[in-house]
Amino acid sequence: MSHEEIEILFVEDSLDDAMLTLRAFKKSGFVNTVHHVKDGAEALDYIYARGAYTSRNVQKHPKLILLDLKMPKMSGTEVLQRIKSDPNFKSIPIVILTSSKEDPDIQACYALGANSYIVKPVESENFFQIIKEIGMYWMVLSQLPD
Amino acid sequence: MGEKESSSELLIANKELAYQNQEKENHAAELSIANKELAFQNQEKEDRAAELIIANKELAFQNQEKENRAAELIIANKELAFQNDEKENRAAELIIANKELAFQNDEKESRAAELLIANKELAFQNDEKEKRAAELIIANKELAFQNDEKEHRAAELIIANKELAFQNDEKEKRAAELIIANKELAFQNDEKEKRAAELIIANKELAFQNEEKEKRAIELLTANTELKKAEDDIRKFNEELEQKVIERTAQLEAVNKELEAFSYSVSHDLRAPIRGINGYAQILEEDYADKLDQDGIAVLHSIRKNSKKMGQLIDDLLAFSKLGRKQVSFADINMNNLVNTLKEDFLAEDKEKKIEFNIEILPPAKGDQSLIKQVWINLISNAIKYSKNKSHAPIAIGAYHEGAQVIYYVKDNGAGFDMQYYDKLFGVFQRLHSQEEFEGTGIGLAIVQKIVNRHNGSVWAESRLNKETTFYFSLPDINS
Repeated sequence: MSHEEIEILFVEDSLDDAMLTLRAFKKSGFVNTVHHVKDGAEALDYIYARGAYTSRNVQKHPKLILLDLKMPKMSGTEVLQRIKSDPNFKSIPIVILTSSKEDPDIQACYALGANSYIVKPVESENFFQIIKEIGMYWMVLSQLPD
Repeated sequence: MGEKESSSELLIANKELAYQNQEKENHAAELSIANKELAFQNQEKEDRAAELIIANKELAFQNQEKENRAAELIIANKELAFQNDEKENRAAELIIANKELAFQNDEKESRAAELLIANKELAFQNDEKEKRAAELIIANKELAFQNDEKEHRAAELIIANKELAFQNDEKEKRAAELIIANKELAFQNDEKEKRAAELIIANKELAFQNEEKEKRAIELLTANTELKKAEDDIRKFNEELEQKVIERTAQLEAVNKELEAFSYSVSHDLRAPIRGINGYAQILEEDYADKLDQDGIAVLHSIRKNSKKMGQLIDDLLAFSKLGRKQVSFADINMNNLVNTLKEDFLAEDKEKKIEFNIEILPPAKGDQSLIKQVWINLISNAIKYSKNKSHAPIAIGAYHEGAQVIYYVKDNGAGFDMQYYDKLFGVFQRLHSQEEFEGTGIGLAIVQKIVNRHNGSVWAESRLNKETTFYFSLPDINS
């Protein structure tokens, strides 16, 4: 899988959630275009083509970032803030995908420029359905910036 | 004598002649100088003579002037001599006049002395006459005064006489009055004695009352002191109470914060593993079902059902704990619109078409629309849920006023509950039915109670098993 083809950057520290999400993408036909990173620092390395991603073309933005909030080292909120405050990358749509239903998190994310805030359902069937719908909505229905 | 002696004498004579010659020449030179000196002196004398001529002319002019002045002085002298003569003549005349006056003066003094003597005589005679006149005037005044005195006395006597007669009359009248007054006084005296006796009695009564009042005052004072002490105690108690309230509030705030942290943790950390269990179970079911036998698949179903239930419990618990923290906003609520909209939703889900709503006119309320809507949803869905075993499910919704409250109710003919367990009805996760009979987490009524309480209302219910069950909730009447 070449990085030039990546359309969705998926930031998730929980391997279980990552596995389930990737399976849902796979079943929806998006699997080849999703790249999973395990924490916020790696997500920023990917975006800025640093560290393990120096070979990546920094001009080529992912079309969508799926971002978990509660992660070790660097939280999703921090990643969101960094990307949305950088004129080069702030046009990339960011969908927050998290377990937290807490109001303050939701308010804060939208204030920082998140494009959507989705609570992962506990029930697997609903969960798979939501992942599928996110893929459909952002990758197929929405007209995204280049 | 020889020739030599003659020549030496000649030489000497020569030398003498030469010397005499020299002397003569010297003398001629000296005479020339003296001549010049004399010529110079001569010139000097001539100059001096010229100057003397000029000085002489000056002196002659001055002399002339002095002669003129002397002539003038002679004339002035003659004038003064004339004036002197005049003054001497006048002095002689004055001396004569003076003598005349001295004579006249003597004459006048003699005359004055004579007049003085005559004057004194006349003054004495005058004094004598005045004394006599003054004595006569005094004697005259005395007589006139005595006359007046006598006339006054006579007039006074007449008046005094009249006065005495009048006084006599008055005294008689007064005596008569005094007799009457005396009688009056005797009567008044009696009255006063009676009054005094009464006053003595009244006085004793007052003294007694006074004592009673003093006793009462002392009692009141004691009571007052006790009251003050009680007040102090109450104030102290109040302060302690306030302190306790502050401490308790702080504790509660701390607990509340802990609870919030706990809810967040539950929300995030507990949901993730359950999602994992659920998700993996589904993968097993979807991708590996052919490798499991009938029992294995049944177990898998149970795993999924339980994890789903667990997720539901967590979500319910979160919703409930959030309610306690949520800020309630008060706005007008049209209860008729709210309930009728819900009715349509419920009817749409009623596939068997066995529900029959009977909704009365509902008074409006004030409150948080989304929360009050949740109350109606929970009560109506309960009514529907517990009517599932009935072929016909009538649900009655209505309201009535009671005091300052409006009471809303939802009535059904479903399973109902045993009033014996009523105290568990509104408890969190308390259920009066088994999961097999009726599904549920036992949070719905707890939520209803919490919302209604936060709107200053209360909730209660009554039920006859399998016959009729009614849930009531009250809200403050917006018109009172």
